[in-house]
Amino acid sequence: MNAPAGLDLASIPERIQSEVQRAIQRSIKGVEYIASSGPALGSTPKDILAVRGTMNLYHYRPIADEIYRVPILIVMATTNRGYILDMVPGQSFIEFLLKRGYDVYMLDWRAPKPEEKSLRMEDYVLDFIPDCVRRVQRDSGETDISVIGYCFGGVLSLLYGSIFADGPMKNLICFTTPIDFREMKLFQNFSDRRYFDVDRLIDSVGNVPPEMILSSFEMLRPASRVASQVQLWENIWNDEYVKSYRMFDRWATDTLPLAGEYFRAITKDLMWDNKLYNDAMSVGGRKADISKIKVPILHAVAEHDHIVPYDAAKHLIQKIGSADKEEVILKGGHVSLVAGANAIKRLWPKLDSWLCERSV
Amino acid sequence: MADKSTDPAAIWQNMVGEMEKGFNSFASQALASPEFSKLVNQVGGASAGAQKQFGELMEKYLVSMNLPSRAQMLSMAERLQSIEGQLNEVKALLYELHNSSGMPPDRSVAPRPPRTKQPPSARGEQK
Repeated sequence: MNAPAGLDLASIPERIQSEVQRAIQRSIKGVEYIASSGPALGSTPKDILAVRGTMNLYHYRPIADEIYRVPILIVMATTNRGYILDMVPGQSFIEFLLKRGYDVYMLDWRAPKPEEKSLRMEDYVLDFIPDCVRRVQRDSGETDISVIGYCFGGVLSLLYGSIFADGPMKNLICFTTPIDFREMKLFQNFSDRRYFDVDRLIDSVGNVPPEMILSSFEMLRPASRVASQVQLWENIWNDEYVKSYRMFDRWATDTLPLAGEYFRAITKDLMWDNKLYNDAMSVGGRKADISKIKVPILHAVAEHDHIVPYDAAKHLIQKIGSADKEEVILKGGHVSLVAGANAIKRLWPKLDSWLCERSV
Repeated sequence: MADKSTDPAAIWQNMVGEMEKGFNSFASQALASPEFSKLVNQVGGASAGAQKQFGELMEKYLVSMNLPSRAQMLSMAERLQSIEGQLNEVKALLYELHNSSGMPPDRSVAPRPPRTKQPPSARGEQK
């Protein structure tokens, strides 16, 4: 009897042996997985410069002998923790920036407390970000600041930059930042104004619970969670795979609640009325027109982003007022754009080569 | 090395990947329908309403048991938060005073590096 084309009969015993070994390893490592905690995340040495309600401002300790003049302030998305940008040594965006000679600060968020349900968009854009900018200026002794905003942190940075167009923001970098909220099709459908009574929700729950945020993200790809667990079991013998799985899984499920009034504004102004795209956005009575932003801007978007599809992000560069502007479309998804092996290879070097010239 | 088309492990992994893609794509279409939006918001609205009513009932129960209510706990939390905030302000002021005194800051025994770094192009290096 002939073997089917492509089947190497001589390799079968070797394959069987390898599969048996993997099966044994799966059992051992499976027990280890359940019994152990994941790797320590967000461990790059830092100092807390300010803690005020939901706002945390960190300064990462420089590790280069010489640093660029202009410090960086990273504005994290309000739904997630900032340690996605500081996973483990060798896979930390923060560590990469420090090694390349940048002075890095991060505006990270803590879960708003029930009594903080009244925080509004203006608290974020007109108070928290300007406060952090002032503290960075004071701490670094520099007036100019480069701002990096990830996802909704990018939206907040755009609003801040358009209201404070005269400075002190020197450069703006947005990662996967939506501007045309009509194009976030599934989120649009979840918040369809005919059926979604945002007032009733906020009046009932105060702050939007993290479980609700998480399930709305997971609903975008409902099969992925189960499939990733199947793949985990397949690869549980592989320590590197397991480490990476645990890092990303922990971060993805560590979702933050959103302050009620802030969520109400996002739903009404952005999801329903698409005011940022329609040049009709204002925050605390101050017009936020992104064509007023004139500083150099880099917008990095992911080719396979299921949370912020390209169509929702692509108008940012067209609408911004800057002369020095660049959009870069990179392989990857919403998270793999900024963290993990894909980011190390693609986004991080691109960002460094763009920003170093503008940080002196 | 076995051919991927005949390797059972590769076939299985490929199948899981394809199933995930297929199901996600099917679900995306279903989730994009107005019927789904209506249904999910009816369920969500009802559960939020029930949660509110349950909260109010609980509040009354705690008052009758002479236990602190949620509102009282929140007011206490607010006072603690305000004290915490003031402590942080004092800490920040102390830190600033310490820095302006010319003494080396505790948090970084080594002085901060100079802000003189130039991009590789300015140093005549290839990027």
